[in-house]
Amino acid sequence: MTGGARSAVRSVPPPQAVMGLLNYITAHSLDEDYAHVSAQRTADGDRSVRPGSAALVVMLLFGLLVTIAGIRTAHNAPVSQTNHAELVTQIKARSAKVDARRRQIEAVQADIRTLQAQYSQATAEGQSLATQLGRLGVRVGSVPVHGPGVRIVVDDAPSAPSARYRVQATDLQVLVNALWLSGAEAIAVNGQRLTSLSSIREAGTAITVNFRSLSPPYTITAIGNPNQLPARFADTRGGSTWFDLQAAFGLRFHTTSEESLTLPAAHRLSLHLATTPEKLR
Amino acid sequence: MIAGLGLLLGVVLGLLLQPQVPPWMQPYLPIAVVAALDAVFGALRAFLDGIFDDKVFVVSFVSNVLIAALIVYLGDKLGVGGQLSTGVIVVLGIRIFSNVAAIRRHLFHA
Repeated sequence: MTGGARSAVRSVPPPQAVMGLLNYITAHSLDEDYAHVSAQRTADGDRSVRPGSAALVVMLLFGLLVTIAGIRTAHNAPVSQTNHAELVTQIKARSAKVDARRRQIEAVQADIRTLQAQYSQATAEGQSLATQLGRLGVRVGSVPVHGPGVRIVVDDAPSAPSARYRVQATDLQVLVNALWLSGAEAIAVNGQRLTSLSSIREAGTAITVNFRSLSPPYTITAIGNPNQLPARFADTRGGSTWFDLQAAFGLRFHTTSEESLTLPAAHRLSLHLATTPEKLR
Repeated sequence: MIAGLGLLLGVVLGLLLQPQVPPWMQPYLPIAVVAALDAVFGALRAFLDGIFDDKVFVVSFVSNVLIAALIVYLGDKLGVGGQLSTGVIVVLGIRIFSNVAAIRRHLFHA
């Protein structure tokens, strides 16, 4: 019997082992010394519980600590604010610098063009070269183009339940290729001039042309004979594809003839290959 | 009464003197304040329970502040300062909350 009782006593673990740490902290939030000291005092027959000068000193320290911490935090806040303001001024200064450099580039490019013009005006060979350059520039997209043409506006179906009811990159490719086939001299999509190296691609849900994301409606402007272009377009395979898209999925497609269109030059043109003319070698 | 006077004196002294804290001590100031808050609320509860004792208050205040700062200092040296200060804040926060709950029960009998 006694052995059994002893083992029962031994098998009761201390509270902090059974309760779990957080519960133990909650249950014993008051320092146990208070209870201990008070129990001893009651045993001794003392009954003084008034806070004395020691409490005053400690509370003074506490007030000092809180005030110092508050003052420190208040000091640190303006520091981060000035950091922010400094960053903003830096950003402004740098972007102003970028703008200045960009203007410089434009000025130098203008210089190059005038020099080129001067040079080609000076010689007969240069003149023929200049006309060739102008003609090729229209094709390549390096010069802006003015002239009559057509404006085609295409857009998604009014309610588009699936991707097929929206204008896709392949649809735009078909349209643009049909326009080239119909005799367009220059084409731009939403103001992005198409060159022989332009791409019309799907990037996520948006269509990118010349690596710029476009959003519907898509306006395709094409320079060409405005009387012939729409009729020829209707005859091409791309044209009939588009009429099918219009009929079957409700994609919107609207053509207008324009007396005067202006297409900008392409943004991204880099020189890949160059040779010096025979005479200058 | 005397404790409130001490607190007021401390705040006024701090505002008047605005003592400079050495930079190495600054990271441990907030955690020391939380630890001190725990000691003060514990003392208030003990006072309302009628078992307050000056000596215990002094010891618990000083040891709370020192140990909290020491734990965070050690954590900083070991590269786990952020985690350790979170741990200290959690433990002290729980203690403060349950002490304040006990004080509330004393004051409002609710």
